[in-house]
Amino acid sequence: MSRSVQASVTRLEEIAGGGHVSSYPAELAMRQVDGLLPSVVVQPADAAQIADVVRFANAEQLSVIPCGGCTKLGIGSPPARYDIALDLSRLNRVLAYDPRDLTLGVEPGARIADLLGVLAEQRQFLPLAVPFADRATIGGIVAANSTSPLRHAYGGVRDFCLGMEFVTGDGMQAKSGGRVVKNVTGYDLHKLLIGSLGTLAVITRVNFRTFPVLPAQGTFVASFSDAESAFGFSRAIAHSVLTPQILEIADPGAAHFLFSHEAQARISSQQWSVIIMAAGQPSVVDRHARELGHMAGIANADEFLPLSEMEHSSVLKRISEFPRLVLEGAPAATTFRIDALPTAVPFLLKQLGELAERNGMRLAAIAHATGTAYTAFFAEEGNEKSSAAIANAARQVFQICGLPEINAQAMLEWCQAEVKRVLGSAWGPGRQDFALMQRVKSVFDPQSVLSPGRFAGESSSHD
Amino acid sequence: MQPQIIHELVALLGPKGVLSHREDLMLYEYDGSVELGSPECVVFPRTAREVAEIVRLANRFEIPLVGRGAGTGLSGGSIARSGGIVVAFSRMNRILEIDAENLRAVVQPGVVNLDLSRAVEHLRLYFAPDPSSQRSCTIGGNVSENSGGPHTLAYGVTSNHVTGLELVLPDGEIVRIGGKTIEAPGYDLGGLLVGSEGTLALVTEITVRLTRKPEAVKTLLAVYDTLDDTTETVVDITVRAITPAACEMLDGFTLRAVEDYVHAGFPKDCAAVLLIEVEGLTEAVEAQAAEITEVCRLHGAREVRVARDDRERDLLWKGRKNAFGALGRLSPMYYVQDGVIPRTRLPETLRCIEEVSRKYDLRIGNIFHAGDGNLHPLILFDERDRAEFARVVAAGNEIMRQCVAVGGALTGEHGVGMEKNELMPLMFTPEDLDLMHRVRAAFNPAGRLNPGKVLPLGKACGEIRVQPITASVTTPA
Repeated sequence: MSRSVQASVTRLEEIAGGGHVSSYPAELAMRQVDGLLPSVVVQPADAAQIADVVRFANAEQLSVIPCGGCTKLGIGSPPARYDIALDLSRLNRVLAYDPRDLTLGVEPGARIADLLGVLAEQRQFLPLAVPFADRATIGGIVAANSTSPLRHAYGGVRDFCLGMEFVTGDGMQAKSGGRVVKNVTGYDLHKLLIGSLGTLAVITRVNFRTFPVLPAQGTFVASFSDAESAFGFSRAIAHSVLTPQILEIADPGAAHFLFSHEAQARISSQQWSVIIMAAGQPSVVDRHARELGHMAGIANADEFLPLSEMEHSSVLKRISEFPRLVLEGAPAATTFRIDALPTAVPFLLKQLGELAERNGMRLAAIAHATGTAYTAFFAEEGNEKSSAAIANAARQVFQICGLPEINAQAMLEWCQAEVKRVLGSAWGPGRQDFALMQRVKSVFDPQSVLSPGRFAGESSSHD
Repeated sequence: MQPQIIHELVALLGPKGVLSHREDLMLYEYDGSVELGSPECVVFPRTAREVAEIVRLANRFEIPLVGRGAGTGLSGGSIARSGGIVVAFSRMNRILEIDAENLRAVVQPGVVNLDLSRAVEHLRLYFAPDPSSQRSCTIGGNVSENSGGPHTLAYGVTSNHVTGLELVLPDGEIVRIGGKTIEAPGYDLGGLLVGSEGTLALVTEITVRLTRKPEAVKTLLAVYDTLDDTTETVVDITVRAITPAACEMLDGFTLRAVEDYVHAGFPKDCAAVLLIEVEGLTEAVEAQAAEITEVCRLHGAREVRVARDDRERDLLWKGRKNAFGALGRLSPMYYVQDGVIPRTRLPETLRCIEEVSRKYDLRIGNIFHAGDGNLHPLILFDERDRAEFARVVAAGNEIMRQCVAVGGALTGEHGVGMEKNELMPLMFTPEDLDLMHRVRAAFNPAGRLNPGKVLPLGKACGEIRVQPITASVTTPA
């Protein structure tokens, strides 16, 4: 251990206590980001200790990356520097839960699985059906703005997050928003932290509104031999008076991941599928079953299946875990999160399919009917591609998204670290608003101590 | 104002695009509150480019700029507190695009809220935020204040319905943030800008989400003999996790005034009513309405009436949306508040407001969005009675402190503006406010855009303290 690392360890131990600082290689390796290791891991107990750590980092010009379950550290551009892994897993308490008021205040290190368990006891939930559900923490989910199929009915994190407390990049404890369901007092600074990948502040508390579990639910899968019919069906649903909770379109590549177990016997995984979940009073679910079946017939569905209870949980879990299933099945996969308009998605996926074919890769894609698509490119076994080839394909993905008839916003979420290095950035071509984001970054984190390089508008200066 | 400035503005916008005569300016001295501030001129740009030119000119002459929609705001957000130029968006009132397939509309900031809903009515769509002033308030103003309305209980406030903005920054640069897609990678600048009360940028174009009209709507009126029964019903509806589209409360004092004015059919001899609306699939509406009726009866509602048709429904809502005006008939002035509390604290907070009313010997009407805990106590007074005015200020202050003390917020939808900026330290620490100051300075470094709003003024001297508030008093509509 170098003298400077030893000095850091000593100071961090003063802040967080002796048992909560480590520089063991295994601990460091767990928290690697794009192959880069921190010198030390610190586990603070509270916001005051976090502020001390961040101030120390400012004084010593060290860089800090906050982490929890370490499930999403691969998202974003490669960090420019990485000295301290700020592990928030000790901040894992539910600080305030008022089920009568349907509001919740929670620390960032709380695992979503545990939290959903606490809420389920009161027949409530947060609409965060996110990947890596067994390990993912609230802080990571918020910082990565994890997408969830439930956003069709409940919106994204920004729509049900009421306020946050956080420590800025210059070590100041601050907050914005509040704990009540309606509030316009002051600037909504916390909204900036959603999807900021730990580049602006370290989240120390998140306040949410919670939602009641609805009395009955039903899940339905319709399969189609072509994309056009599948999108036609989902469009018809979106334009009807029906009120589905989930409405997803999966291409044949994704169907392979979604239906490979319990539901496999009944659902063809070679086809396009549309997955719908309805919830509410039993009469509401029945109405969906009736009308969806009828609409599926009109849309030329090959099959329309109401799922059994067991199939329902399996398919739902697999939709939520889609990015993880892809990574587990194809560790070298390159995945993009693409925000498009619903009408642009069919053409987008067609273009991406052709791109995959041209490059000798396979595509798996799943799209929320509201327009956000998860797309994964991966090579067949024995036909692996070079980083340069993958980076070249990634550039073409960004180009396709920039076509005027598509006009989508893409972000490279997961890929091999080397691919990002060749590309330089995970954020695609520059955008007009990146300069404004830079201004925000310089207010929150003037010395660029927090997750330097991972931010949207910052090109990686990694060497 | 220097003739040179007027001359240049006229050259840019034409003679009809600039007002600078005293008698013309008087119309722009106030908004929905009676906070006052005199602009030195009012300009009416037609394009973002013209707005950018105005901003550059204001920078050259170092004069303040304030954006203004219809002037219906309730916290002085569009008042030229420090003089300067008011940029009125009434000529930028075109709906630029309706994309029904993707549920989006692109509008200029001067489009009136209800006009957008009317323009898409034939597509069975509407714009969800529905402030009471929606017949006149503009979408630009809604964006500035992050406006709400009765139906935001189910559908969210303005910020939940904006996906993209075109901005003119205080240095004159025109920038787009977000777009038509539901989200985009990177920092949520739209989340910051919506509700920033015109202090970070002037908004020149807005992309909004449109919402599909529900299949069925039911409007219920529950009538109570005690205030406690009414508030306990709201708590129980929340606790049972029933989510109506709207849940409004009017106390007896208010509804008698409303009934005399609007003849909406409210029973005049009761203590309070709840106006509850459920929307969705027919099956869901039937089930929810039955459940809500049961809860109302359980808490002693003496009558639960369902609006029989659209006409009856419209009349009930007309009563609700004209309630401020109705109370204005009883008194020369009123001071409307906008505190928010956790919904389960409603009964005790209403009792507290009753006590405040007795303690300060003031008439207070309660009419508010009960379902989300957003209170609008209206304190009636006569501004010529200076002693009474002092009591109004003290009473308002006490109610506001109570809201914050039970874990609530200073404003749920009206904004901080110049009415509550000195109360911000009740909710925020010096560090919180310092960060907000720094964010503002990153966009608006010279502080020329809408000065004196949102943040406490004392901050400049490095000192933050709660000062006695100056009441925002409101002239009857």
